[in-house]
Amino acid sequence: MKGMAEILPSLFYPSIANDKFLNKITLKGGRLDFSLIKKAIVSFEEDKVKKLVKEFLENGIVAKDILEQGLIPGMKEVGRLFEIKEYYVPEVLLASEAFYAGFEIIKPPLIEQKIEKKAKIVIGVVQGDIHDIGKNIVKVMLEASGYEIIDLGKDVPNEKFVETVVQENPQILALSSLMTTTMIQMETIIKLLNKKKLRKNVKVIVGGAPINQEYADKIGADGCAEDAARAVKLVDKIIGVNP
Amino acid sequence: MNIIEEVLKRKRRFAIFPIICADHCAHILHKNFKDVATNGEILAEVLEYGYNLYRYDMTLIFSDPYVEAEAMGCSLEYSPYPKLISNSELIRKKEIKALRLKSEIKGLRLKFKDRTDEIIKSAQILREKVDVPVFVSIKGPFTLACFLYDTEDLLKLLLNNETTARSIIRMALDFQVEYLDRLLKIPVNIFIGDPLASASVISPNLFKKFAYEPLRILINKIKSAGMIAGVHICGDTRPIIEFLDNSGTDILSIEDISHKTKTLKMGGVSTITLLNSDKKKIQKEIELALKQDFLILSTSCDVPVNTPAENIETMLDIARQYEN
Repeated sequence: MKGMAEILPSLFYPSIANDKFLNKITLKGGRLDFSLIKKAIVSFEEDKVKKLVKEFLENGIVAKDILEQGLIPGMKEVGRLFEIKEYYVPEVLLASEAFYAGFEIIKPPLIEQKIEKKAKIVIGVVQGDIHDIGKNIVKVMLEASGYEIIDLGKDVPNEKFVETVVQENPQILALSSLMTTTMIQMETIIKLLNKKKLRKNVKVIVGGAPINQEYADKIGADGCAEDAARAVKLVDKIIGVNP
Repeated sequence: MNIIEEVLKRKRRFAIFPIICADHCAHILHKNFKDVATNGEILAEVLEYGYNLYRYDMTLIFSDPYVEAEAMGCSLEYSPYPKLISNSELIRKKEIKALRLKSEIKGLRLKFKDRTDEIIKSAQILREKVDVPVFVSIKGPFTLACFLYDTEDLLKLLLNNETTARSIIRMALDFQVEYLDRLLKIPVNIFIGDPLASASVISPNLFKKFAYEPLRILINKIKSAGMIAGVHICGDTRPIIEFLDNSGTDILSIEDISHKTKTLKMGGVSTITLLNSDKKKIQKEIELALKQDFLILSTSCDVPVNTPAENIETMLDIARQYEN
């Protein structure tokens, strides 16, 4: 769905005085063209993303529109390419850097504008495991899909997950593990949540190379995702929102 | 001729080896894993125990994935299993532009904590103790390079700094060539584990460009010494299966054994199935796997450390019923 600012730029952005910029980003019919940002993310052009986002901001485009019309569609396209196996992990990593380069610039105005997030998610790699690429990719995809992410990092003690659930009251707890020696921690964390009577308040999703739906069912998780694109779909489904 | 050779020569339909590593054997023996991973004699002892307990058709010396990475400057911490806590500063700074000379590699091994001699010791002991082929697991140069430099950073280099990526992979390859020289003198069979080269991580194009040739160099070296070469890549291998099938390896240990290959495959039972102790499911997966003309019936990856021993026995019992 098109944002109002994209449909009616003159109404929402009457203050754009820079004709050169206006010409550059105005499409036929008066719509603003955020695809430059999207394309720069898809082609991993970090510096270009920074330059464009700064330019958009300086010319009065609000951070929310830059995020929703430029940065998020960029990462969504990267997710689509990842899902159809045109992009692999290296491509997603570089695109994520480009996304975050732009995201960091609009973060301060975004905080001021108090953008509402779809839900809060706590994410981390379980104790004993230092492989966090998968977790990082899931994180950026979820963040780009409008979720608030609390990233606990890698090799996270089981108790830390539980403490964070108590403190932050997230809707989702996302656990990642890449090794058969560490995947067992996921079950321990779920048991700890049960013991502390926290399980009703939080949905637990799991992922990582050795994890499948069968394992998720066995340990009592609410879902399992094979990759980052599917993780976003799973979370959307659990939260009950349209992508 | 042992059972593995019989299957390789297509004189027998299948052999059995769930990928039982030192961690599982240490777990059932209640041994401190750090002692197992750092002492060749104890490593051989736990693997011999595992073999005598289950009586599978080969053994694999695999303590953890970081033996070579540690010898090249990475730091580990045991809790209780080893985890990589830092990458190799030496490699990251690229102080040694390319490790081509054996003396340079030896110097490197002396400088850092080197467990490769312990692995060699365990292979020497185990060969005397068991009556099945012994394999030593080594890392594929691509995966080793990821450990040395930092996986995320190396993956990015593949796209934005090909020269540096190649030089790091080259250092990993040179180290493995020297390590192989010492292993093949024992002599012992070799399994090369290269999971980060799977299509779950990199594209077939990047696999061809960066991972394939180093893998082939190691395979050729093993084969030239008259030993059996195996390659283990878990994750998605469908897009790279032709490369793997033409790599010259004798055995391909992969998650999805439904790929058609001329190379003998190894796999068939999901590690999660084995962990979950569902006898019917184990039987179903074995039946499906044994539809292959020839196979080393195995698990899709290493058996999770806490898999109950009775589940592994169940897998072996069911499989044995299909012999002859």
